[in-house]
Amino acid sequence: MLTPYDFQENLQQRAQYIRNRLRLGSPVIGISYDVGVMLLALKRRGRKVYEIYDRLMFSAIGNQADVENLRLAAIDFSHQEGFVRSPDDVTIQRVVGFALSPALKKAFGDPLTTPFVARALFAELHETPERDQFYTLNYDGEFLPYERFAVIGGTNSAEEQATRYLEAQLSSTPSFETSVAIALTAWGIAYEAAQQEDIDTVSEEAGRNRLREMLNEAQLELGVLERQTLRENRFRLVPQEQLEPFLRRL
Amino acid sequence: MYTTSGDFYELLQRYQAQTGVRVPLLQSVNAPADPPNAALEIHGTTVIAVKFKGGVLNVGDRRATAANAVMYDRADKIIPLDDHTLVAIAGAYGRAMEVVRYLRHAFKYYARSQLQPMSLDGKLQEVSRALASNLPNALGGIGLFIPILSVYDPDQDRGRIFFYDVSGARFETPEYGAAGSGSERIRGVFDYITKTKGPFSERPMEDALREAILLLDIAADLDAATGGIDKVLPTARYANRDGVFEVPETTIREMVQAIRAGGNA
Repeated sequence: MLTPYDFQENLQQRAQYIRNRLRLGSPVIGISYDVGVMLLALKRRGRKVYEIYDRLMFSAIGNQADVENLRLAAIDFSHQEGFVRSPDDVTIQRVVGFALSPALKKAFGDPLTTPFVARALFAELHETPERDQFYTLNYDGEFLPYERFAVIGGTNSAEEQATRYLEAQLSSTPSFETSVAIALTAWGIAYEAAQQEDIDTVSEEAGRNRLREMLNEAQLELGVLERQTLRENRFRLVPQEQLEPFLRRL
Repeated sequence: MYTTSGDFYELLQRYQAQTGVRVPLLQSVNAPADPPNAALEIHGTTVIAVKFKGGVLNVGDRRATAANAVMYDRADKIIPLDDHTLVAIAGAYGRAMEVVRYLRHAFKYYARSQLQPMSLDGKLQEVSRALASNLPNALGGIGLFIPILSVYDPDQDRGRIFFYDVSGARFETPEYGAAGSGSERIRGVFDYITKTKGPFSERPMEDALREAILLLDIAADLDAATGGIDKVLPTARYANRDGVFEVPETTIREMVQAIRAGGNA
């Protein structure tokens, strides 16, 4: 029997569809440390952490084409604004709040288009760690600002558990080394929690075990924006040989 | 929704078409019947590029003039475009800065969107394109500028220098390049240096810096528009394997003092 179009039901179905697909996504951990900001992720094939603008980077989980769409839209907006006005006017809240969020909301609410299957994490570098900013951006256009650290993962519970761990472990301005070590365990907790939905608190050990297992088929990717650098570009991907010591200590 | 080629020019054109906001870079003036008053436009004067072993060095004085008035004594005419590239500009300051801003964005836009750096040839071509599109302005008597592009080439582990003419023609020079009002008068000195002391590309950076500062001093002696090295220290930047760096002011000051103390007044 044909039922009349129900707006609410439609949105719920769309959200359910997207959440199911995001659940398997590989988490991203963002931490602001003394001399920079980092986004840590595991990649299977393609890149996962991307430079957007001079002080802005991004990573996301979801459909590759949708992530690419978001990435390119953010890069277009940033460079347009940075040139027509000034690089100082390209800020995380303008890029996420005005350039991207309305388009996501529109695609999500429009029954005739496919919604974005993506959840993104943006990080913005400032002069001091206290002023660094993170924004998460959801498939429905919702965005939230964070300070010090931020997580995106496959489920709400995964994000909450990783956040709790980060909150307990991170000092006010951690060093690069401690941040990487903590981010790795947080990643494992977030991924394990997304797979084991009936467990409220995934242990650190279970998280690290899961991470070790995942590292057999995926590679660690760490993107950083450096606060003090002589280089023209603040963004760089940390080379694998510099990550090896952290993986050996797992 | 977005450009697929990573072409920043295309992005700006679309922005202009969509918003109706006129991007000054994309506008050219109609050539007026009489050339405009030269005092209307501020010009940067002399810039020098020389190679050294493993890289390339740029030195420029700080003066900017309009006709025969000194307008500014703190102009920076050597600007990094990315981690391998420096541009030194002589001529119309306003237009040149706009193009430099454009190039910085164009190179980064390409690298960030395409996930690979723009090739050296692509960058050189982008500069040619910016100059070619500026030609109507230059012919109109306003906005004429000449860039020298200095690049560290990682494939060949050496510096490379390219100069351009006003229409965008590109030439690679083996050892050195110079542009601006004082440059023509010191061309012979470059030759004298390479013929008596060997090629710049075989000498250490400190030697190249000393020669370049001395050359700038000679240019200031022979050209009234060149600011020289005494009143305000020149700027110097270099590109090598590790990136693009500015020579610290103290190093330049010591070198200028040494040149003066050596009787090279």
